[in-house]
Amino acid sequence: MNNPLPEPFAHLTPYRSWALSTEDARMRRRISASMSEITDYYQTLLPEIDPIAKHLDKWPLAELPAEQKPLLYLAMMFMETAMCVEFFFDPDVPEALGAEHIELYAGRSEQLVNS
Amino acid sequence: MNNSTRPFADIYPEIGTGPVSTAPAVDPAFFEREREKIFRKMWVNMILREEDLPNPGDYFVRDIEVLDASVIVVRGDDGKLRALHNVCTHRGNRLVRDESGSCNGFQCDFHGWVFNNQGELAFVTDEQRFHHLDKPSLGLAKVHLDTWRGFIFVNFEETPSQSLEASMADFNQDLKPFPFENMVLAGRYRYETNANWKTTMNAFQESYHAAFVHKRSVRQCLEDDGDPYLASQRIKLQPNGNQSISVHLPPHDLTPTEMIAYGMGATFTQGGDGNVNSFPGTAQAQIENWAFDLNIMFPFSRINVGAGWYYVDAFWPVAHDRTVYELAFYFPMPTSAGAMISQEYSKIVLRDLSREDLFTNEVTHNALRSGAIKSIQLSDQEIAVRHQYEKVTEFCR
Ligand code: FES
Ligand SMILES: [Fe+2]
Repeated sequence: MNNPLPEPFAHLTPYRSWALSTEDARMRRRISASMSEITDYYQTLLPEIDPIAKHLDKWPLAELPAEQKPLLYLAMMFMETAMCVEFFFDPDVPEALGAEHIELYAGRSEQLVNS
Repeated sequence: MNNSTRPFADIYPEIGTGPVSTAPAVDPAFFEREREKIFRKMWVNMILREEDLPNPGDYFVRDIEVLDASVIVVRGDDGKLRALHNVCTHRGNRLVRDESGSCNGFQCDFHGWVFNNQGELAFVTDEQRFHHLDKPSLGLAKVHLDTWRGFIFVNFEETPSQSLEASMADFNQDLKPFPFENMVLAGRYRYETNANWKTTMNAFQESYHAAFVHKRSVRQCLEDDGDPYLASQRIKLQPNGNQSISVHLPPHDLTPTEMIAYGMGATFTQGGDGNVNSFPGTAQAQIENWAFDLNIMFPFSRINVGAGWYYVDAFWPVAHDRTVYELAFYFPMPTSAGAMISQEYSKIVLRDLSREDLFTNEVTHNALRSGAIKSIQLSDQEIAVRHQYEKVTEFCR
């Protein structure tokens, strides 16, 4: 489903499939993506993060409307790609324990937003 | 004589400066002694806080493989927290299979016995066919539980040989004032590695490795023309095995993303702003470019405190060559999306850095098992590793 994202971010709608609701899903998406996908995502989203945060801060986090949540998820997905572009030059962490040995659990804010 | 490049050996002369035997890390028989002499007697940091179980009936189950135990921590209807063995008193079935939840009581899935959330045996199916059931004595077996600054600890000894407070030793002054209650769980991670728990933990007990292991992830902090090895300015070792190591990071340029994250909250490598009084319970005031303190509760858990966040972790021994590393990261509860986005950045940094830290353990462990070397060499900066081997050996005698 490709519902348009809320204004003024409708132009980011092509990236909607990156709007994943859990840290676990975002990490797995990141490490299965190609570096060119990640770089494109990073470069597109970099100038949008501050505006997205300002826009979403109109609501208390606990009252974020459902149609706005994908914007939050896009911004958090951006943080995953930032490590790849700024530090690793790779989708995954080079010279590290393999991601198949890790389990991720939700913190309080993730539970709050996704409840 | 005080040596400014090797200051710690002079402060702790009893620990020595010679090579350290690899036997405690690779000998399965040594692991058996650790199990009996250390793990069975310690206060186990459950990596769980009182506020994680706010309401009567809230429970959390943790398996502690090294002690062949499974423990239910539950808040009873009387408001009290209890730790109970997860073993049905009928024929010993595992009582609770879920990891956490909330309930009035627990029903065994073998023959349906019911225990209330205070651990008492509340109901026996087809009770009339039993001969002499002494129901009041058939509650779930208890494990000692105590809390320290909201952290839940349990102890498996019949009578704990030491109180939790006594085992926290200097942390009762040095760490206790930290504002833990202002923060909540932001993320939790569990990593499995095939290495001894000490070999695994040793990778987290000095800053010396950062220039190699973290050459990518904290590159910006290593480009300082001062000391690229980030030598610790403060290492405090306690007679019971507890340790505190202060980590500093030189002023560094922030990447575009860290700039965004820092604009909306404290970050892992930058911390929050705020003066030296902002974070009591830390060594902030004593350390130039202070970043965070690693506080090790002997033998294998830590409460690590930074400027605006903290994380609790443990190197759970499973077998002589298997360890589970668990990490829980705490930040103030975000009230805005901006704060949550900012925290996500630091969570990812710490998560990815931990994976780097866990890269060498397994191959190091295997290399040590080859017997090619019988001892390891430790610099003054690695004195916490030396201290750990010394204490483990002392307590296993
Ligand atoms: S073992 Fe639990 S009811 Fe029988
Ligand atoms: Fe490290």
